[in-house]
Amino acid sequence: MAELKMAPFNAGNVPGPKMGRVTAPAVIGKMIKRAKRPLLICGSNIEKHGSIDKAIEIGKKGIPIAATGNAIVAFRKKGYTDNVKYALLTDLVNCLCDPEWKGLDGKGNYDTVIFIGSLYYLVSGVLSSIKNFAPHLKALAIDPYYQPNAEMTFGDIWKKQDDYLAMLDEVIGEL
Amino acid sequence: MVKLKAGIFDIEDLENVQIEIKEIMGEKMPEEEWALMGPTPKPKIPDLRYWDRILLKRYPPFYAPQCDTCILCTMGKCDLTGNKNGACGISLEATQGRFVLLACMIGTSAHIGHGRHMFHDIKSMRGPLDKIPIDFGSEVNIEAPLTRLIAGVKPKTLADLENVLNYVEENIVQLGDSLHTGQEGSALDFESKAYQMGMLDSIGKEISDISQMMAFKFPIGPNRPLCDAGMGTLDTNKAVVFVIGHNAPPATDICDYVSDNNLDDKIDIGGSCCTSLDANRYSAKVKLAAGLGRQLKVIRAGLADCIVVDEQCVRADLLSQAKKVQSPVIFTNDKNMHNMEIRDGDDPDKIVEDLVSGKVPGVVLLDPRNVGEVAVKTAMKMKDIRRKNNWLLSDENFKKYAESCTNCGTCTYQCPQGIDVGKANKKAAEGDPSALSDQFDICIGCGRCEQVCPQNIPIIDMYTKAAYMTGRIQNEKGKIRQARGPIFDTEIRNVGAPLVLGTIPGIIAPIGCGNYPNGTRDVYTIVKEFASRGYIVPMTGCMLIDAGFQKNEEGKTVFEEYDDVFDKGGVLNIGSCVANAHIHDAAIKVANIFAQRNIRGNYAEIADYILNRLGACGVAWGAMSQKAASIAAGFNRLGVPAVVGPHSIKYRRSFMGRKDKEEDWYVYDARNGERVYVGPVPEHLLVVAETIEECIPLMAKLCMRAADTPAGRSIKLTHYIDLNQKYLGGYPDDWHYFVRSEADLPMAKKAELLQILESDQGWKIDWKLKKIVEGPKVRYDPSFDPTNIKDLIRAKKE
Ligand code: SF4
Ligand code: SF4
Ligand code: SF4
Repeated sequence: MAELKMAPFNAGNVPGPKMGRVTAPAVIGKMIKRAKRPLLICGSNIEKHGSIDKAIEIGKKGIPIAATGNAIVAFRKKGYTDNVKYALLTDLVNCLCDPEWKGLDGKGNYDTVIFIGSLYYLVSGVLSSIKNFAPHLKALAIDPYYQPNAEMTFGDIWKKQDDYLAMLDEVIGEL
Repeated sequence: MVKLKAGIFDIEDLENVQIEIKEIMGEKMPEEEWALMGPTPKPKIPDLRYWDRILLKRYPPFYAPQCDTCILCTMGKCDLTGNKNGACGISLEATQGRFVLLACMIGTSAHIGHGRHMFHDIKSMRGPLDKIPIDFGSEVNIEAPLTRLIAGVKPKTLADLENVLNYVEENIVQLGDSLHTGQEGSALDFESKAYQMGMLDSIGKEISDISQMMAFKFPIGPNRPLCDAGMGTLDTNKAVVFVIGHNAPPATDICDYVSDNNLDDKIDIGGSCCTSLDANRYSAKVKLAAGLGRQLKVIRAGLADCIVVDEQCVRADLLSQAKKVQSPVIFTNDKNMHNMEIRDGDDPDKIVEDLVSGKVPGVVLLDPRNVGEVAVKTAMKMKDIRRKNNWLLSDENFKKYAESCTNCGTCTYQCPQGIDVGKANKKAAEGDPSALSDQFDICIGCGRCEQVCPQNIPIIDMYTKAAYMTGRIQNEKGKIRQARGPIFDTEIRNVGAPLVLGTIPGIIAPIGCGNYPNGTRDVYTIVKEFASRGYIVPMTGCMLIDAGFQKNEEGKTVFEEYDDVFDKGGVLNIGSCVANAHIHDAAIKVANIFAQRNIRGNYAEIADYILNRLGACGVAWGAMSQKAASIAAGFNRLGVPAVVGPHSIKYRRSFMGRKDKEEDWYVYDARNGERVYVGPVPEHLLVVAETIEECIPLMAKLCMRAADTPAGRSIKLTHYIDLNQKYLGGYPDDWHYFVRSEADLPMAKKAELLQILESDQGWKIDWKLKKIVEGPKVRYDPSFDPTNIKDLIRAKKE
């Protein structure tokens, strides 16, 4: 796969000295695999990006899912709601930033959050909250864009959906 | 020697003569005692801090930094990543609070600057302020609720309001001082100051709107006429004067000039943003052509023969954009002069000649009385010249540009909406303009894309052309009721009880700008959804304009479908952004008229009342400006929550509660001081929603209050659950938090919900009596008197 660009999807969105590392899907997959308490956060672009089925595959590997915005509707349409919960994104991240939070399942906060189907600029904002105020969390972005506030992120691939989906398959392959 | 005092005096031996001495060397005439003075008249920074701390404890700020560095002083640039401190010692967290305060200060200054400017204009156009009484007629006795509440003043003339404005201006300066490098280091204290700023913003808006209403005799009350709205209503058979901004006196002069010279059949006046709303209150002939998102589109479509701008929310590149379509510009406000010459005092015909000949692209006219003649004459002459050109792209050029697009995506990287222009261009090249036309509404008209396109494609022009080809612009013709200003005291008397008891489920107030995530249709959806469910929907600003050209299946706008009454299912045009003070006012009047609370200088008690009792929620789905930041802060401090659209994450701060933290949701019972758990109501104070499907049920949820009666709670819960099912396809996860007893359950779903409470929450149900026996954490007591303020406890519990 060609080297992916480390250019913020919104060109002006250059947050500061600490910018997300463009990371190969297999490495991101391994990070997720290693996580003790991972949470997949699916945003309202999950259908637009064509990544709903991949999110479900990840869910089926036992990773709980928070569906934000109207993403829950996409899961309901697909008939997959086993480990999917609706969450208001900013509310969820507000809780995530508190190490004492009990989690969506009452079993404690998470250690790794993975963003998919994101509304770019909104998720960029909450990733900044995590980067700056939640040192207990690792934030990974597997969106078709470079997310500068994530710790590790895909590069820009929004124009090539097939390649993007293949990258998601690589991630899933590691789980 | 006799010492004179301020006051009213009779003169012996002279019948019917009284002397009024208003002020002697700074000693003011004592104000008539109209109510007991509350604890905080004209509060300064520390005075309401105790109330802010109550709010900030339950709704602490959640920060999403947009930038991890700071360069406000020359010790920077400081890297604050990971909440480090800068060279001055400030943390990233406190920097966010500082930034929010700065944004609120800009917003408040805009509204207060507007008020001050208005006073100058009124003095020159209408005479001394103390000769202009404040009189809304028999239906409004509480003429200025925010002024009474915050300043403790019952104003009689505009001069009284000018005095209050002095208090506001002084306090803005004090707050501005706190922004200096060093000093304040607490994010929470910055937020308390932002609340103070928001409160000043609210009273400043009230002053501004009352002043313009009184001086220019804006009409008030319901049943206002329906007026034209939308780009398609501009009549290019006439010469078009297009007014933009937020300060209407120049536009009123244009209206006068047109009327005085019988030019109605020759001149069409349209506008965008608040100037159009306020000018339309002066004269219903002014068309509400566009909100902020359409500003550049109207200009680039070449619809304006003369553009008149005043202040705020006006494009900073207006002059160069207007030049592209040969529209001369008149700048009428000193905040916005674009290096043009000030021409007040010159012969109007000479100014017109210079503009029409193109000798100058624009002029500055700071006296509103000089604007009408120049604008109208210029537009009439320009019409003949400009109509020779077609400002729309030709079919061939449209095709040529579409074909030249290499689908490189450079524009998309610049676009705040992330719009895939290339994809739509491809379709257009194949002969189908519909994708571009659809994007026309999602595009906020910012023009960033055009600057970077390597093929130099005029993307805005492509959108406009596509929107014409598909009939979108021609059909953008709607109706909006003329603004009605304040809510009548009589209306408050009628709705006070149903609102507080909850049988009218709430007030939903769409306000603010046009930076929507997904186009203007969402505005219509919000208004329609809540009005049809019996909520009261008062609106102001651009969101109101954008609601006005969307229609139902019968071709009716929400303004045609619903009455402009402050009652169940009413849809109201309250006015421009400064008029949204009347929405605060309605809440304050409920506390005053319905609940008989003293409002004079009594801010915290009234905010506490509103927070615990009055189901109201603002929505600024396209909030963009710093004014929206100060407006939201003002609503929040008064106890009114607001939902904002996803772009608002860039304001950096929200105020969110944590329903999982039980300890946050205790209040006092004012009867005896007992601490009572009331559940997460309202759950958040300022919250970003991601999509409209999420926003709508969330607003319904945020209308729940601690004091809801069972009948009211059951209605509110019905809407919350229904709206979740409608927009998110199922029950919300948290509805059980709001159930205090079986009486709170929606009637139609009672059995099903009891079942869920038993199976999912483990509550005990007596199925014979259909009663909840055990489970709810919140109890309902009809005489419960909730308050968050310790001092309001009447008798302490032993
Ligand atoms: S104000 Fe403080 S944080 Fe900002 S640049 Fe100056 S020293 Fe650095
Ligand atoms: S003008 Fe429209 S398409 Fe272009 S960058 Fe702005 S929002 Fe995007
Ligand atoms: S930047 Fe220009 S050429 Fe590239 S996709 Fe956008 S419109 Fe097409």
